[in-house]
Amino acid sequence: MVLKVYADRMSQPSRAVIIFCKMNGIDYEEIKVHISKGQHLTSEFAEINPMKQLPAIVDGRFKLFESHAILIYLACAFPGVADHWYPADVSRRSRIHSVLDWHHSNLRRGAAPYVFNTTIAPVLGRPLNPQAAAEAETILTSSLSKLESFWLKGNGRFLLGGNQPSIADLSLVCEIMQLEVLDEKDRARLLDPHKKVQQWIENTRNATSPHFDEVHKVLMKAKEQLQYQRLKAAKNEGGSYMKKPLPSRM
Amino acid sequence: MKLKVYADRMSQPARAVIIFCKLNGIDYEEVRVDISKLQHLTPEYSEINPMKQLPAIVDGRFKLFESHAILIYLACSYPGIPDHWYPADVCKRSEIHSVLDWHHSNLRRGPGIIYQNIISMPVIGRRFNPEAVAEGEKFLSASLSKIESFWLKDKGQFLLGGNKPSIADLSLVCDIMQLEVLDEADRDRLLGPYKKVEQWIENTRSAANPHFDEVHKILLKVKEKRQNLRLKGANNEGGGSAMKKPLLSRI
Repeated sequence: MVLKVYADRMSQPSRAVIIFCKMNGIDYEEIKVHISKGQHLTSEFAEINPMKQLPAIVDGRFKLFESHAILIYLACAFPGVADHWYPADVSRRSRIHSVLDWHHSNLRRGAAPYVFNTTIAPVLGRPLNPQAAAEAETILTSSLSKLESFWLKGNGRFLLGGNQPSIADLSLVCEIMQLEVLDEKDRARLLDPHKKVQQWIENTRNATSPHFDEVHKVLMKAKEQLQYQRLKAAKNEGGSYMKKPLPSRM
Repeated sequence: MKLKVYADRMSQPARAVIIFCKLNGIDYEEVRVDISKLQHLTPEYSEINPMKQLPAIVDGRFKLFESHAILIYLACSYPGIPDHWYPADVCKRSEIHSVLDWHHSNLRRGPGIIYQNIISMPVIGRRFNPEAVAEGEKFLSASLSKIESFWLKDKGQFLLGGNKPSIADLSLVCDIMQLEVLDEADRDRLLGPYKKVEQWIENTRSAANPHFDEVHKILLKVKEKRQNLRLKGANNEGGGSAMKKPLLSRI
């Protein structure tokens, strides 16, 4: 029975799991669960993951959710996965755990709500929330700073001084990729100060090519559509659109 | 060089690491970093953990922070640690990872926020935020529900149907213990609906005693002090009307 991966490619952690499977030749069946259609809230999906979140996997009779737990499981359970993804060395492995844990309460807690509350919410029928966006932005900028100054310190191309990517690089870069759907100026404002972060994103993308770009296609299409809508709105407002600050443009 | 554990026993994840060390006979030096005196914000402590949080460990030249990462590191690095804490079996281990990850975004956001606003923020001169407390309560109730109905759904005494505790039980129970500082009526209101959760807390406490109680002494002292203050306040108000008000107005 082939591994089943329940995913929505608009979901950052789903993308990390799919890219990992493709990179490592793990045979799997991708089962699309569309968040925008509320499919993650059905009673059928609750049988797979009672927390109603993506991604989730079913491997034979074994069900698992939480993307970090899934990535670790796949790295350990499937043969031929290169050591750099989840090293056997206890100290290196522990550092990967520490950045994955830090991610939950920092980068993820900043990036995801910021993108949601400035851009994505209307697509899911929810209102934008500038206050939540502002709080999330504080966490996001602090997290990007910490990535630049601490997690990427030293000469390595990847987190923790690594010269090859680990599951932590995949997880965190997929999270930051969600910023692609923001207004270009907003995205640039957030990312431009962080040169190491930008280089690291590119390193991770190259190291996981061609799968990285292929799995991110859905996101890039969404980005295009949102850019088109913004341009349309700008034209309708007679060109004054581009000078207004972000919240009033939503 | 002995393992150093940088901790404040008022911090839930710090307690989990200390109890784990004591239970498993891991030789360590506890280096107290007092959050109420802002010692976690000093440049000296930043050398240990640039994220300025507790706990952190230094094992020889190896530094590590984030309590789940620390618990896993200790379970893997020190000899003689029983398998039930962090099983070698990939599936059981993965399930523990999933509950620890779930914890970050769910339970951890409950008791911590309530406690911070009620206890630690006033101590460091910051104002308590009623909206944050209300949100903390929301996270807490939703999380306790999920623990009751899902993480404790099987027959075992511990999470995931286990009959012996894992690092996940220690981590999550230490978090819930932070609610001990609340008024009894509030604690009962928050925890009372969840019978399996209450039993599980007791199971974890028994399995980890006497260390569990010893490490929680400082928290229970804070609880006593606050109870005395409340009784004093109630006596001054002419008897007991304090107990009926909801949490926020009693702060």
